[in-house]
Amino acid sequence: MVRPKPDLDALRAQIAALERRPVLADGAVMAAQRQAGGEDELLGLLKAPPGLLHEVFADEHRQSGTALGFTLGLARSLIADGRQALIYLQLGAEAQEIGLPYGLGFSGFGLTPDTLVIGRIATIPELLWALEESLACRAVAGVIVDLASHPKALDFTVSRRISLRAAAAGTSAFLIRYGTGREASAARLRWHVKPGVSAGQPFDAGAPGSPRFSIEIEKLRLGQVRQTEQRHLILDWTENGFVSVDPRKHPLAPLRRPAAPPRPQPAALGDRLSQAG
Amino acid sequence: MLWEKIKGGMRVAALDAAASRAGLTVGQNLSDARALVPDLLVFEHDPEFTAHVFSEFADWHSNASPIVAVHDAMTPYGDLVLDITGVAHLFGGEAQMLASLTGRLRSLGYTTNGAIADTVGAAWAFAHFDPGRIVPESELEATLADLPVDALRLGETQVGGLNQMGLKTVGQLYGRDRKAMQARFGASLVVRLDQALGLIEERVIPRIPIAEYHAERRFAEPIGYLDDVLMTVRDLAIQLGVRLAAEALGAQSFHLFLYRVDHKVMTLSVNAGRGTRDPGHIAQLFVNRSERLEGEYDAGFGIDMIRLAAGSLSPTADVQVGAFEIDDGAEDLARLYDRMTSRLGPLAVVRSKPVDTHIPERAVKLEPVVARTADDPNAPAAPPVRPLRLLPNPEPIEVIAEVPHGPPLRMVWRRVSYRVLKASGPERIEAEWWRTGRNLSFLRPAPDPGRPDEPPLDKTKKKVIAPRLDEHVSQLPTFDAEATVCDYYVVEDDGGRRFWVFRLGLYGAQASPRWYLHGFFA
Repeated sequence: MVRPKPDLDALRAQIAALERRPVLADGAVMAAQRQAGGEDELLGLLKAPPGLLHEVFADEHRQSGTALGFTLGLARSLIADGRQALIYLQLGAEAQEIGLPYGLGFSGFGLTPDTLVIGRIATIPELLWALEESLACRAVAGVIVDLASHPKALDFTVSRRISLRAAAAGTSAFLIRYGTGREASAARLRWHVKPGVSAGQPFDAGAPGSPRFSIEIEKLRLGQVRQTEQRHLILDWTENGFVSVDPRKHPLAPLRRPAAPPRPQPAALGDRLSQAG
Repeated sequence: MLWEKIKGGMRVAALDAAASRAGLTVGQNLSDARALVPDLLVFEHDPEFTAHVFSEFADWHSNASPIVAVHDAMTPYGDLVLDITGVAHLFGGEAQMLASLTGRLRSLGYTTNGAIADTVGAAWAFAHFDPGRIVPESELEATLADLPVDALRLGETQVGGLNQMGLKTVGQLYGRDRKAMQARFGASLVVRLDQALGLIEERVIPRIPIAEYHAERRFAEPIGYLDDVLMTVRDLAIQLGVRLAAEALGAQSFHLFLYRVDHKVMTLSVNAGRGTRDPGHIAQLFVNRSERLEGEYDAGFGIDMIRLAAGSLSPTADVQVGAFEIDDGAEDLARLYDRMTSRLGPLAVVRSKPVDTHIPERAVKLEPVVARTADDPNAPAAPPVRPLRLLPNPEPIEVIAEVPHGPPLRMVWRRVSYRVLKASGPERIEAEWWRTGRNLSFLRPAPDPGRPDEPPLDKTKKKVIAPRLDEHVSQLPTFDAEATVCDYYVVEDDGGRRFWVFRLGLYGAQASPRWYLHGFFA
């Protein structure tokens, strides 16, 4: 029996409408980048494909530097020719609690001081508005939102909307949150970052070395997820980007500082020189 | 009737028509006035408030002419000057304009007198002493001659002196010897006369700066809703955009003037980072700005006229994107920053700009993105080790460290104790002595340990010449280099967290040094 034409046209229109939805669009992006192997795949995720919503969790406010460092490492790879800007949004009142990004410290991440545009915003609704406006601009590489508190306004619906807008515009969004509680959210990737004791400088084992992050991927919603996947990584941030560190070869045991040998009191550097005449 | 305190006595400051009909005069004693008219209503006069209200009232008249000023040579309020060069034809001629302006004010209940003349001085004279006249340039001297000398905006003593001499009208001053008049009555007499006749230029400084490019719309019926205002702004932006496009100009600041029926003006301004004439963008900026208004929008009895003016013009040609040129998105970014700034405020969207100083908290300045300034070429290149995050105010911590300049071994911050595993430093950053506002003390030479002790110099024999310092400099506190030096350390604790701490002051200086935490590393 021949189906009547109007039904077929209606079905075609429906499929066409489905195909234009951004949900399927970014799922296709991820499927194209699947690689075999646990660790390679995770390292591949660190070169974050654009258009995703990431959540970066740190345990405490005092680890805010670690969280921002990891996020900048992720966002660094998104800067391209047509997308030059990174926008950082923070509530103005939280600057004393977790600190403001400091321009001169970006050189360790290969960014100049004026790459990051900082938005110091008064309220959460304005912050969400600024986030959506920035995501819509096609010249923005990534938007980083740093929230020290847990606002009620940021629920599943809002995160879903942010995720859709990020996928539609091809701009990534990074939400830095603090604490051990996890809420339902529509983020595609959820990272849990902890700092690790660094390896030390080559000339001075007692000095802090390259930043070391201990990463756990808590949520990975990009196509199929296998059961036995490795989800923990220890990474160093070096000039070559994120470098994986084998925990067995580089034990994180604390270094014992040797006692200082007895020596005479060195001259105080503020000593006054005798004025001639 | 208003009274005010002059020289300790309460005197009448202003009267209305009924009170002056009853025989009271300005300057009379208040008690005398009360005795003359028993049931008199008296109010204290607040000159500043009146002047302020009058200036706001003056702003409203900018819808008639762009150059409006309050003429405060004789009284702080009460005289309005409008420069109507080239504007009169819009109102159907000078006579029509004068009639409509004064008529409108009279219908609101104000007592108004007006006149039109070629100079400010002459217009003032006619408005006060012969109101309602429109004096063309050719007849200025002749008509001014008939007015009394008071019309020249002179002081009381000058007028008294002139009247004593028998010089009662301005015409009698015309042919006189200027030097003699100046010597007898003061230079201001000659200046005022010249100003009235147009021999000396007298400027009118407008209260609202003049905008050459503007679009305006008047309403037959006053409107009130903000949505209607924003719709009108959209239309006006299109008109303004066409005008700017004709001259290939773009503007960086836009001002919106809302003229209310009850003689008040509301202004809104937005700034754009780059010169623009795109009507959609301009309208969007005003929409964002209006969302930030909250309770300040008050249309009163209605809005009569809306004017959109463009300032800070710069040539902006239409850019043609070539076939092989990659659009780097700078234009889109500029618009994004404009929109965010218009909604969040100019100090909310900032970028870090390096500054030429070594002090860490001052080495980076947060400046608004829309007000970009050129980079300072003297700013030092990025120093080797700086934290990723900086606390706006360094927080004091308690530290156990090796004396004199060992790094911290243990520290207590925000009531949590940390055990430090790794540390590097110190990096010494001295205070900028040229900025501390303190007195640099002159150093005395240290006594030579080799020579035996000599008796101190006898003061009578050798005079010690002390350097002469200005009084205020010698009273400043002395700059103490040892107390203001900062030694910075990068410390890492057993959890891998890395902090940037510093010690303010040296051990061995007069004040004991204190430790602070300044930033976090990745």
